[in-house]
Amino acid sequence: MLGFLKGLSVTLSQLPKKKVTIQYPDVQPEWPERFRGVHRFIPEDCTVCNQCARICPTNCISLSGTRDENKKLRIDTYDINFDICILCGLCTEVCPTECILMSDTFELANESRDKLYLDMHWLYENQLRYTQRHPERVAQEAAKDHEEAPAT
Amino acid sequence: MDERDVVRTEEMLLNVGPQHPSTHGVFRLIVKISGETILDAEPVIGYLHRGTEKLAENLQYTQIIPYTDRLDYLAAMLNNYALCHTVEQALGVEIPERAEYLRVIVMELQRIASHLLFIGAYLMDLGAMGPFLYAFQERERIVQMFNEICGARLTYNYMRIGGVRWDAPPGWLDQVREFIPYMRERLKMYDDLITGNEIFLNRVRGVGKYDTETALAYGLSGINLRCTGLEWDLRRKKPYSIYDRFDFEIPVGKNGDCFDRYYLHLLEMRESLKIVEQAIEQIPSGPVLGKVPKLIRVPAGEYYSGIEGARGEIGFYIVSDGKDKPYRLKIRKPSFVNLQLLPELLRGESMSNLLAILGAVDIVLGEVDA
Amino acid sequence: MWQWQTQPLTWSTFLAMLIGTVVILLLALGVVTYGILAERKVLGWMQGRIGPNRVGPFGLLQTVADVLKLFIKEDVVPAAADRPLFLLAPVLAFVPAFMALAVIPFSMQHIFTAGIGTGLLYYLALSALTIHGVMLGGWASNNKYSLIGGMRSAAQMLSYEVPLGLSLVGVALLAGSLNLNDVVRAQQHLGLWFIIPQFLGFCVFIVAATAELNRTPFDLPEAESELVAGYHTEYSGFRWAFFMLTEYVYLFAMAGLTATLFLGGWSGPWLPGWLWFALKAAAFFFFQFWLRNTMPRIRADQLMTLCWKVLLPLGLVNLVLTAVLKAVLLKG
Ligand code: SF4
Ligand code: SF4
Repeated sequence: MLGFLKGLSVTLSQLPKKKVTIQYPDVQPEWPERFRGVHRFIPEDCTVCNQCARICPTNCISLSGTRDENKKLRIDTYDINFDICILCGLCTEVCPTECILMSDTFELANESRDKLYLDMHWLYENQLRYTQRHPERVAQEAAKDHEEAPAT
Repeated sequence: MDERDVVRTEEMLLNVGPQHPSTHGVFRLIVKISGETILDAEPVIGYLHRGTEKLAENLQYTQIIPYTDRLDYLAAMLNNYALCHTVEQALGVEIPERAEYLRVIVMELQRIASHLLFIGAYLMDLGAMGPFLYAFQERERIVQMFNEICGARLTYNYMRIGGVRWDAPPGWLDQVREFIPYMRERLKMYDDLITGNEIFLNRVRGVGKYDTETALAYGLSGINLRCTGLEWDLRRKKPYSIYDRFDFEIPVGKNGDCFDRYYLHLLEMRESLKIVEQAIEQIPSGPVLGKVPKLIRVPAGEYYSGIEGARGEIGFYIVSDGKDKPYRLKIRKPSFVNLQLLPELLRGESMSNLLAILGAVDIVLGEVDA
Repeated sequence: MWQWQTQPLTWSTFLAMLIGTVVILLLALGVVTYGILAERKVLGWMQGRIGPNRVGPFGLLQTVADVLKLFIKEDVVPAAADRPLFLLAPVLAFVPAFMALAVIPFSMQHIFTAGIGTGLLYYLALSALTIHGVMLGGWASNNKYSLIGGMRSAAQMLSYEVPLGLSLVGVALLAGSLNLNDVVRAQQHLGLWFIIPQFLGFCVFIVAATAELNRTPFDLPEAESELVAGYHTEYSGFRWAFFMLTEYVYLFAMAGLTATLFLGGWSGPWLPGWLWFALKAAAFFFFQFWLRNTMPRIRADQLMTLCWKVLLPLGLVNLVLTAVLKAVLLKG
């Protein structure tokens, strides 16, 4: 007979404990730096090497670029289809210039699949938004770039 | 006491699932019942089939890793490791010490998270609401730690062939260290809350019993095998990674009933905590990714290696023709194998034991259907 | 006008009765509304959550919103269902549950309480009537899960009616009356709540009452993990709301009965009678929520074993003990 009384006392002892609920959306969750949310993209840095599109296991990146007057490749379109992107982060891993990155945007719900097809502008805006939210993280990234730049 | 002798009943087909609250995903069970006795049961699977094995034939080895996340989505780290381990064996690469330790830590934490969810969901099946939500509190802490180390809460994609993707962020190991005593305390709480409860005991003791022979005949592994009393744990029997360096026990059951299966989950969490504790003490510093070529080509041949997953032996069988993509990939999915026993277990049981038995077999549909 | 219990039936006493009924109905609805909210809150707190908190301050209007939602939902009647019975079942379930409230003495003045001499029997009879609604609902839905749920429900509630009745007999013996008002007065007179001399009876009663209410750990008829939702699987919209309402009104009635029979009803020092009553009923409510968070569900065959092999003998023993006690005390 003792067993279930023990159980009852356990549940009662939980009653006054601190609650763990986060009042989303009033309170946004804190995402760590490595969090893999929707991508952000920095068009100036992209060298159109196509590595990200090649590594992507779901083939959801499509991009195109042209050579400008200095024979440098410039990105023209860069779309990610978030209908099939699995947010694995492999694309960010291979990018030589670190211009495709993950952000902490995670609210992707939408009323139409078409709206999940996000283009370069949206991704760039996402970068701007990320900069606004986490200026210190972006500054750190830039500092790291700066450090690595002379080495390469 | 066979009610068929007393009352004339008609056979009835009952469709449990695919939309049913406790089939843990999309799983359908066609049960033929007569009165309250189950005459036959037939699992229908495939609702979650995504063709992972076929897809893998068109993917490079690194690209397959995120797909393994989605097999047994409650224990993605272990799946990650199973694939990487097989490929590493094939390539014969050396893995840096620190990476091995990190792998062990996350794998054991993952095992705890997965077992926790089993206990919560099992009790939910049996009608108790509290444990499910308690289990989620601890799991949340683990998942949050995973989030910090690899950036995702469920589909980690953390391991790489030759090591792990990231080193632990600063302070992470301390977080894990703090988690251990907390988890120990919570485990005691589960013991108090569930193990002694008479109603629970009455529902699971002696229910869904089978012996070692049956278990072996059906090829069961993991807790489903150990509950019959056979000490078979790949971490011990075929030590992989660095498991031979740790001191831990393999708890085994006696009766092979649902209670043993439940209780082993609890005991295994304790052992996993022990492993994590030791690993944290011993972890060296150093690189976390070994020297592997950028484009991984597995030499032609056939390779298999299995590891002890949360639900049994997860194995990857790779047939390679020397290219950067597998010629054929076959996954040994423990849930799928364990599920085969279900009809046999259910036959002749009372309808009210159905869920106690189904829950204790512990299947994850993502893995069954792959 | 308010002393209608002892007056001949005239227009003014009839009016008073009517007002009384409406007041009790509103009270019951209020208790149910906030009972549900309290359940969700308490469950939440016990599980490290905060419970409903969006609609109104502290989620106070949550149930109102839920009920509104249920009312504007489409009223679906499955094509294969037995239509008249399907429509009738929720009403059949609800009416007796509400009628049972008539005999509960809420306060000392008990103006809204029917002081019938057979109060306890009346209560038992009505609670047995509710089963029809549940069973018909399960039958008429023409769904296997509903049918099993309905049958289980009928079997369970009928069986537990027996130990419930037996445990009440002990109280009736001690009080010397079946009138619930008299039971309370007897406790006041004795200066002791019946929970003490009738402890065994109380234990039997609490178990049987929980089973009667189909609440955890005896919630087999609607075991969601086995039977989807039991007898009301096919119901939706306000018909489903009716079943829910029945359940909670019945819970309220049972809380009232517990308070009256074992915890001294409205009697108690310092505080006014209705407050004592409310506190005691709330304690019963809390106990039920607490159980729900802790207990797994009992198995169907063990349920019957518990009823016939444990509770029934215990109830009989209690009855005999009470009789002896009473005889000895009366002699002494
Ligand atoms: S996150 Fe993965 S799936 Fe998504 S675009 Fe990058 S590589 Fe492709
Ligand atoms: S990998 Fe980076 S640089 Fe190359 S195309 Fe993709 S985004 Fe541009």
